[in-house]
Parts: sequence; C-alpha cells; structure tokens
Amino acid sequence: MSKKAKQAPAAATPASAHHTTPPAWLWLIPLPLTMAVMAYLLIRYETEFLLRAQELNLWLPTHLFWTGRMAYPGGLASWLGCYLTQFFYYPWLGTAILATLWLAISLILVWAYRLRGPWALLSLLIPLALLACFTQTGYWLYYQKLQGHLLVPTVGILFATLALAVQRLCDKALPARATLWARPLWTTLVCVAGYPFFGAWALGATALLAATPPAPSPQGGAAQSPKPLIANLVLAIALIAIIPQLYYQQLFEMTQRNFVYAAALPSMRYGKDSFEQYRLPYYALILSFAIITVVGWLSAGNMAALFRRKAFAASATPPHYAQANDAATPGWRAAAVTLLLLAAATFGVRAAWYHDSNFEKELAMDRAIQECDWERVLTYARDGSSGVAPTRQIVMYKNLALFRLGRAGNEMFLYPEGSTAQNAPWRIHMTQVGGKLIYYHYGKENFCYRWCMEDGVEFGWRAETLKFMVRTSLLNREWEVARKYINILKQTTFHRRWAERYEPLLVNHDAFDLTKLEASVANGRPLLDEAHMREFAPIMHMMTYPDRLDGDNTLVEMYLLQTFAKGNGDDLLFQEMTLICALYMKDIALFWPRFMRYATLHPKDDMPRYYQEAAYLYGHLEDKVDISHMPFSQSVRDTYERFMKFNAQCGPMTEEQKAVAFRPQFGDTFYYFYFLVRNQKTN
Amino acid sequence: MRTPRSLSTTSSPDAPCNATKRPFAATSITTCIIIALIAQLITACSATPSLPTSYTEGKALPKIYPDYAGVTVPANIAPLHFHIDQDADTYVTRFAAGEDEWVVGGRDVRPGIKRWRAMTAAALAAHSPISVEVFMEHQGQWLRTQPFTIAVSPDSIDPYISYRLISPSYVTYEDLTLNQRCLETFDESLIYGNMINTDEANGQCINCHHTQWYNPQRLQFHVRQHLGGTVVSYDGTTKKVDLKTDSTLSAGVYPTWHPRKPWIVYSTNMTGQSFHTRDPQKIEVQDTKSNLIFYDVETNEVTPITRDTTWLDCFPTWSPDGRYVYYVSAHWQRLDTVALDFEFIQYYKAVQYNLYRIPFDEQTRTFGPRQLMYDAVARNRSVTLPRISPDGRWLMFTEGRFGVFHIWHTDADLYMLDLTRAQPVEEVERDIITEVPNPHDPNEPDIWKRERADSLREVIGAMVPLPETIHAASEVNSPDCESYHSWSSNGRWVIFSSRRTDGNFTRPFIAHHDGNGHFTRPFELPQDNPQYHREFIRSYNIPEFMSGPVTISPQEFAAVVKRDASKATLKMR
Repeated sequence: MSKKAKQAPAAATPASAHHTTPPAWLWLIPLPLTMAVMAYLLIRYETEFLLRAQELNLWLPTHLFWTGRMAYPGGLASWLGCYLTQFFYYPWLGTAILATLWLAISLILVWAYRLRGPWALLSLLIPLALLACFTQTGYWLYYQKLQGHLLVPTVGILFATLALAVQRLCDKALPARATLWARPLWTTLVCVAGYPFFGAWALGATALLAATPPAPSPQGGAAQSPKPLIANLVLAIALIAIIPQLYYQQLFEMTQRNFVYAAALPSMRYGKDSFEQYRLPYYALILSFAIITVVGWLSAGNMAALFRRKAFAASATPPHYAQANDAATPGWRAAAVTLLLLAAATFGVRAAWYHDSNFEKELAMDRAIQECDWERVLTYARDGSSGVAPTRQIVMYKNLALFRLGRAGNEMFLYPEGSTAQNAPWRIHMTQVGGKLIYYHYGKENFCYRWCMEDGVEFGWRAETLKFMVRTSLLNREWEVARKYINILKQTTFHRRWAERYEPLLVNHDAFDLTKLEASVANGRPLLDEAHMREFAPIMHMMTYPDRLDGDNTLVEMYLLQTFAKGNGDDLLFQEMTLICALYMKDIALFWPRFMRYATLHPKDDMPRYYQEAAYLYGHLEDKVDISHMPFSQSVRDTYERFMKFNAQCGPMTEEQKAVAFRPQFGDTFYYFYFLVRNQKTN
Repeated sequence: MRTPRSLSTTSSPDAPCNATKRPFAATSITTCIIIALIAQLITACSATPSLPTSYTEGKALPKIYPDYAGVTVPANIAPLHFHIDQDADTYVTRFAAGEDEWVVGGRDVRPGIKRWRAMTAAALAAHSPISVEVFMEHQGQWLRTQPFTIAVSPDSIDPYISYRLISPSYVTYEDLTLNQRCLETFDESLIYGNMINTDEANGQCINCHHTQWYNPQRLQFHVRQHLGGTVVSYDGTTKKVDLKTDSTLSAGVYPTWHPRKPWIVYSTNMTGQSFHTRDPQKIEVQDTKSNLIFYDVETNEVTPITRDTTWLDCFPTWSPDGRYVYYVSAHWQRLDTVALDFEFIQYYKAVQYNLYRIPFDEQTRTFGPRQLMYDAVARNRSVTLPRISPDGRWLMFTEGRFGVFHIWHTDADLYMLDLTRAQPVEEVERDIITEVPNPHDPNEPDIWKRERADSLREVIGAMVPLPETIHAASEVNSPDCESYHSWSSNGRWVIFSSRRTDGNFTRPFIAHHDGNGHFTRPFELPQDNPQYHREFIRSYNIPEFMSGPVTISPQEFAAVVKRDASKATLKMR
C-alpha cells in the first residue's frame, strides 16, 4: 500500500467524526481488562487445577526432550506448551503469561484486521475460545496424550496470528504488484516450514492467510482483485492437502497417516469413544476467525471498494478510497453486534467451563496428601457443601488421612461415604488419577512405580510421575535408578529444588532401613529430617509384608482391601491396616484374628470405637467368639441396642428405606455400615 | 614431546558409515542446523584447551560415565564420548596413542569422529592402547587423575545393530520402535514404529525382530494386536503372514532363521505376566505353554516340531551349520491345585529350563529326537537364550535361578558352553520339589511350604558342579542382570543387554571375544551425548548385529502391516 493510500483516509475523515466518535484506542482498553478478569477467574477458581496441571507436565531443556517432541508434527507447539505450562508452578505467574499471550493475540488481530471502534472487541472472541479450550479440561488433565495440551491451542493461535501479522507487514511494505507473489509465497512458507513445528495449527494458519484478503488499495490494484484471492485459496487448499502427506512420506515415521491433519490437536478420544462436545471450543475458534476475517474485510471498506471499483470500471470515474472507508466506519450497530457476539462467547465459556465439586476436592486433597497435611485432607473430606456424594477416590484419601493420623478406628464412619462416579464421559481408572498416590502411601511401592511407568508410556512423562518414581525407588533401595530420576528433575525449571531436597537421601542408605531408622530416632539422632521422617517412616512400616506375585487389574481399592485384609504382620501400623481392611470388607473370619492381635499389640490403649462395634456386632451375629468378658464401652453397647430396637420398629421396610431412615441416628456407626451400606462401586 | 593434533571440543560431522540413512523425525531439519551453527560459533570463539604445566597427581581413576576405563573397542566403533562425574572448574583430557596426542576440553569429553579415527589408527599402528588422562582444575589447583587405557582391536565389528526401544512398562505400549544404529557413527534411524499404525482405540505391539545371518534384507518381526501378524522381508519381498494355525498354540513368537534357507523356527507361547509386590525385580514373565514350530517362508507353511504340553520349549536358535536347533525347555506337570496361570504364579520359582537340541535333516526338513545338552535344573538353575558363535564353537546362554525371562532377574548372568567338547547328557527324570510341608504345623500358609521347597532345591543344586564344558563369562557379568546377547558375524564381538547401570533400564554392552571363550571388559554403546542414557527412559531390547541398514522405510512397512495377513497353512510331517 502506498503512503498516499495510508494517509488518504485520515485526511478525508470528516471533522464531525472526531467529535462524535471516541478515539480508537479507547476501544482497546477492554482488551487488557478482559484478560485481567480472565486471569483473575483462573486464579480464583482454578488454582488447584493449575498447580496439578504443572505437576502433570514436564519440560526439560535437553536435546532428548526436544527430539522427543519433534518426532511428531507440531512438536514445537507441544514443546512450547510444556514450557509454558511449567509456569503454573506459581499460578499467578503462569496465568499472567497466559493472559499476556491472549492479549498479544487480540492486539495482533486488531492490528492485522484493522478492527476499528467496537469491532476491536471482536478480537476477544479468540481468547474467550481459548479460555474455553483451557477450562473445559477436567479429567482430560490426566488423559490427554498431547503433551503441553493446555497451552498448545494458545501457541498454535499465536503462531497463526503472527503469520498473519507478517503477511500484513508484507502487504504494507511491498508494492501492490509484489504482494501478488509475496502472499502465496508466504502462505506456502507458513505451511511447508510451519507444519513440522506446529502441525495442524500451521494448516490453520495457511487457511487463515489465504482467507484473509489484502487490505484495500486506493489504486484498485491487483491486491483487491478477487482473482489472486481465489488463487491463494486454491493454493492453500492444495498445500493443506498435500504438505502433511509429503511430510508423512518423508519425515514423520511415527504418525498415523489419518492423523496427519490433526497433528498437535488434543485428541478428545479415549479408547473407541470420541467426545465431540470437547471439540466445540475449537470449532468456536474457527468460527471466531471467520467472523473477524469477514468483519475485518467489511470494516476496511473492501466491499464498498470492490463495489465502487466495478462502478468505476463502468463509469471510468476513479472512486475515492476515503469514501469507501467512511462507509465502513462502525457505529452503534457494530457495537451491538459485537456485544451480542461477545455475550454469546461468554455464555459459551461459562457452559464449557468444567465445574465439579468432587474433581476440585480430589485435586485439593491430592495436594494436601503430597504435603502430608492430613488434617487438611480431612477438612476437605468433611466439606459436604456441594451436596454430592464423594467419589471412591475421595473416600480413600480420607481413609488414608485418618489412618495416618491414627484415628481411623474412631472416625472412619464420621465422614460422607459414597461411590459417585467421576464426572467424565469415559470411565476413569483410579490407577491413572489418584491410585499412585494411594499405593505410595500404603507401602505398595512396586504398584505405584508400575502405574507411573504405565502412565509415562501412555501419557508422557510428568514431573509428578518422576517424583513418585524417585521416592518409590528410594524406598525400594534402588539408589541408581532414583538418582536417574532425580537428575532428570534437576533439569526442570521449578522442580529442581524438590529434587535437591531428596538428593541427599541417595547416599543415606541406612535411613531406608526401618530398624536403623527407628534406632536413630531412639538415639535422638534421626537419620531423616522431620519432613522426610513424616513422609517415609509410616510407609516403611507399611512395607513389612512378604513379596508375592500379584496384580490389581486396575482396581486399587479392591486390591488394597483384599491384600491387607489377608495380610499378617506385627508392625503396629501394618497390623492395624489389616484390621481396618478386614472390618471394611465385613469379613468376620478375617476380622477376629486381626482384632485379637490388635488388642495384644495395644495393651494400654483404648480399643477404638469401630473395632469395638464390629466385635460387638460379630459377637452377636455369630457365636464363635465369646465376647461376654470383653470390656466394650457402654456407648457401643447402647448404640447397638438402639440400632436393633429401631430395626425392629422399622419392621417391613426395604433396605433402601432403612438406609434413609437409619442414617440420621446411626449413619456414623459400624452397624449402619455393615447392614445398610452396600454395593459401593470401586474403581 | 608430542604435538597436540587437535584442540577442538566439538564433534566432527563426517561419518564413515556409508549406509543409506533416513531421517529420524525432525531432528535433521531442526536441531542439526541450529546445533551445527552454534557449535561452529563456539568452536570459533572458544579458547584452545591446553594441558596444565603443574598439577597434583591423583591416586584414583577419574569418575566417568560411561565407564570406559580398560575396555577394548573395535577400530571402526563410534567415538567413546564420556562425561566426567567429578565437580571441577575446568577439565582437560589428553588422549595419546603411539607418538600422537590429542587434547580435548570440557566436562563432556567428545573428541569427535575424525579425531577418534586418527586415535584408533595410531593405536593400531603402534600396537598400543589409547591412553586417557583427565586433568581437573578447581580454584586454581590442577589435579591429574590416574590415566586409563582403551585398547583398540584390529577385529572389526559389524557396522549396524538393530534393537527395540521400549519403556520397561508392563501393559501399555505406546511409542515402541524397532531401531537401527550405525556403530561407526551415532546415526540412529527407525526400522518401524508402532505409532504409525496406532490410534486411541487400537494399540499395537511390535517385537522379536530378527535377521537371517546378519542380512538386513532378510528380516522378520511381529506385530501384535491391531493389524497383527508377522512381517517377513526376504530379498526385496515383504509380506505379512499369520502363523497361527488350529494345531499350534499361537502365532510364531521367538524366531531363529536357518543360516541359509528361507526357514524359520519359532517358539509358540502362551505368555502371562504378574507383578512382585515387594521385590525390586518387579515383574515375572512366564509361559504357561510353549512349543516349537517350523515355518517355510516360500511356501508359507507351518509345521509343528514339538507338541508335548508338559514341556515348555522356548528360545530356539539354529546352529551355524544348520544341523541342529538348540532351545531351552522346562518340564511342568500340572499340579491341578488352581487354574493353570495361577499355578505358574504360585510355583514360579520351580519352573526351570534346561538346554536341549534337536538334529535337523535339511533334505527331509525333519527334526530328530531331542538331546539334553546341559542339565541346569540339576543345579537349581534355569537357562535361556542360547546363541551360537558363527564358527559354531561357543554357545552363549543366560542363566538364572528360575524362569525364562531373565531380563527381570538380577541374578542372571552369561555363560559359555564349548560345543566342541559338549556331548548330550542323559536325561534324568526327577520330580520337581514344589512344596515342603512342616510336619509340626500342618496349617502353615502355603507360601512357607513353597519357600522351604525353594531352599531345598537351592541346597541340592549347590552340590552339583558346573560341567567342565561350561564356564561363566565372568569378564562381562555384573551384579545386576545380563540377558539378551548376540554374536558379531566374525565371532569376535558380542553385544548383550545389561541392567548394570541402574537396575531398571537395559543398555547394550559390547565385549571383545578372544575366540577361546573369554572376553575383555565390555563397553556401553557409545552415544554422542555421553549422558544420553542417563536421561533416556527406554530400554534396549534384543540388540542384534547387522551387516548394513534395513533400507525399507517405516512407511513401507506400515503399508505392509495395514494389509491383511496371509494365513499360513499347516503341514504335518
């Protein structure tokens, strides 16, 4: 575009317009404000999610990590996605970066499409769609195989908008005739050079470049002629069709042919099922670009220019470009349309935003367990404000916390029970979500390690996975492999400190010998510091069982119940766990020997309430053990009597009716659990 | 005084490997350009490393990774790049061979291919090893560690190896690849990767790649589950076949090519795996049934060789003259206590394999009666993976206490059987000691009875000496597991899998064989980035030598895999 052309519209703008139309920059103010609001919402409502997201991410500044990403088309997008995700280690920092990127995208769009006045706000459609892509994640956090998936859409869109900006710069800098070849050249370059790095996002960028017409030229030159536009579109279609196939043939040896067009896009598939609803924000992205392109094209006066050019051709009178631009000056109608679209987009974001109280609780409890803050775990478990019954994972987290605090026998039935399925349209396996954490703390280190390895293979390596592998390897006294994982973590930006905290343990072998550890505590010179002692010592107690060949079939809770209930051991912690599991399984034969052993091992302690209740109940149900001399507490006896009396009063009620009727009075008793809590589905 | 030949810290890009090289994903187009540019820039700008004039003499060898001190290498191997595992401010390493020396700076000691070639040539010419001295400076004080040597053998090594890269995972399999690596350079490329034919709903496992007599044009590997079958490539023809017949246990599993003819003997296996709850060995892979079959590539016919369900026949290997098939076999008579797979899980330590062979008549394509070659069970040991040197003299095998999948057994070591002296031994029928009850406690848990049986077998086995024809390959064994191994085509090198570095991830090691059953200290497969294996979270599986690269592209293999498998026909002999 010539200088003259650039200056003409400003010079020709009627003076009255300056008085009635607010300055253009005023319309830009909502952009950073919106980003700030979005950032605030993310921090306000998704802090736990963000923290978990970066734990389930890994970025390494190594050649191997780079080549691992680049083995697939779109590798750079994934690499950058991983890189950016790690900043959620500090949620405010990651969110600030994310909001800045979204703002950059918006501003580039405003500039590239010359969105004037209220039309500038249309650029918010893209960040809003990206926000929806981000916040709809939910359990995909664990199941998405595209590494860096949370930030990949942002990276991809940024790439596309930058490509567009470069095209616009070329349009401005080059003579009109030069754009005839510069645009297809740039489109080709973006597709050919961009595909290996950005995958499908480069194909999208190619389409965007081709679909975006050049800025109007006052000369009515070639840039405004539809022929180059059509030619560029045809070129883009050909490029999009051919380039991925060429790369498949020549370079990418690990990508299925059918998926070359979807490279670096989150798959939204699990097993044989594909979940179209999660693709809606991506369709919204495409639609938003289409709207912005059309509006940008119209608002720049193209339609009028094109129309007048035809008229000029007929009348041989040159059109005045300024008039064309004037014709496109946005007014209140534009503002109304923009607000309507933004309202729709906001509604869409709200609809897509994943909210599930159990999911959020799981995230929060998970972090509390990682920090061995067991009271905090119980605080979350106690919270019934959502009115939704907990998932098994929440119940298991709660049981773990109670066990660690030594209060299981007195409190295990004081918390909400439930087996609500995790809120995802596919079956969530506990092994892939919280199972590893549970196995880790119950001393099933091989199983924790196993599922870490399985997850690493299936979903890519994550900081969290490596941290588990460090700790299970230490507990298994596998020093060298623990060192390997520590060295990997030390290369990360934010987990280095964690790795350095565990690194000294690699040479502190005696600390992982329970006998020596306990002796050191008795001597007043513990081999572990307080935090490590709190974390490792109870786990080592739980590892006092003989090796055997086994398998869990992905059923974490059932496996733990079965193996502990049938376990034998004299370690105080381990033994109590065998009793708890025998009680939980309602297995009378397994219960009695473990109950007796518990009593023998704790001669000076009060027998916890629920162990008493179970013994008292079983003593009455079966006459195999004489309980007449056992000193049951009066409240245990009374509760039992009241329970049985109430049961007699309820007469012919069904079990479901009884479950409801008994809960207010007896919901916190073992009797209720034994008789009226059934079919808890575990996973 | 020697004159330093080279002072660079960076690798030379020239590669003696003249094989066809395919790009491995995007490495070539991205990092190579950038790294080469940066490397050149650094080379141009960096100061020349120089040896210190005064230093303290250290008494210890330097701590380096990989530990290449005292190893023997072929002249055509890629440079032995290593990382110095000691903290210092400055590092200088001096290599010397004959009258020449080379000085390399940096903690990662990477002399590069060109200088490495000069070193090995000088060492060969001088009939002396390469001497390596590491100097480290800390706060102005230089320390020279004890020098170590790298011997260079005139025996060359086959230029390529193939292997599978797999995370030591258990059920899931993504990102499984069959790779080939030029041993003369650091070039690695893909033979076939499962992801090219894998999607969310359809996973694919690939395994058991094997070439006929080192020939990369005659290759087979299996694809399991999605689009399953056996891919056989023979002199330019590639096909996918289904080797499962109504009369065989499974499709072909562990293969061995006849040394010349288009015939393959496979084991057929019913395999399961279970998990140790406490033992760091973590996993036990077991066959509950296994037999042998003969497959004719040209006629696409399968013939059962062994069918006895009380014997578990596995890991066949053809002798280089084609007259025998060696294999391992375990006897298991059902106890019928529980289901078959659970029975194997309960008594997994009692399942032990002996070494057998069966004669083969090339004219009639028939096999004779089996001969016991090593009664390992008598020693309470279990043998697997027999592999014979190309001259037919030495049979290397892996031995552990039980089972057949020794990669998960830390006690597994490599042994050598001298076939020129070995004779078939008489087979002794013996009952397997599975349980020893305590007469004073009839209600004791079964696991205690089994543990007592394990101990009793151990005591009995300790009384039986190792046959004179067998010795441990102690030069290559480590406290951790050694497992899969294969011979180079000249019989002077073996490559074997070992978990000695960290106990979990299998790495290939190469050792020189003197022809008399003894080895030099093995060296880990060299990598351009010496710390590569420390970060790499995958294991090397089935490393095998090849005379050159496989030239069929992964995409071509992918197209073959997509086709329907040609069903093999059963032919009884």
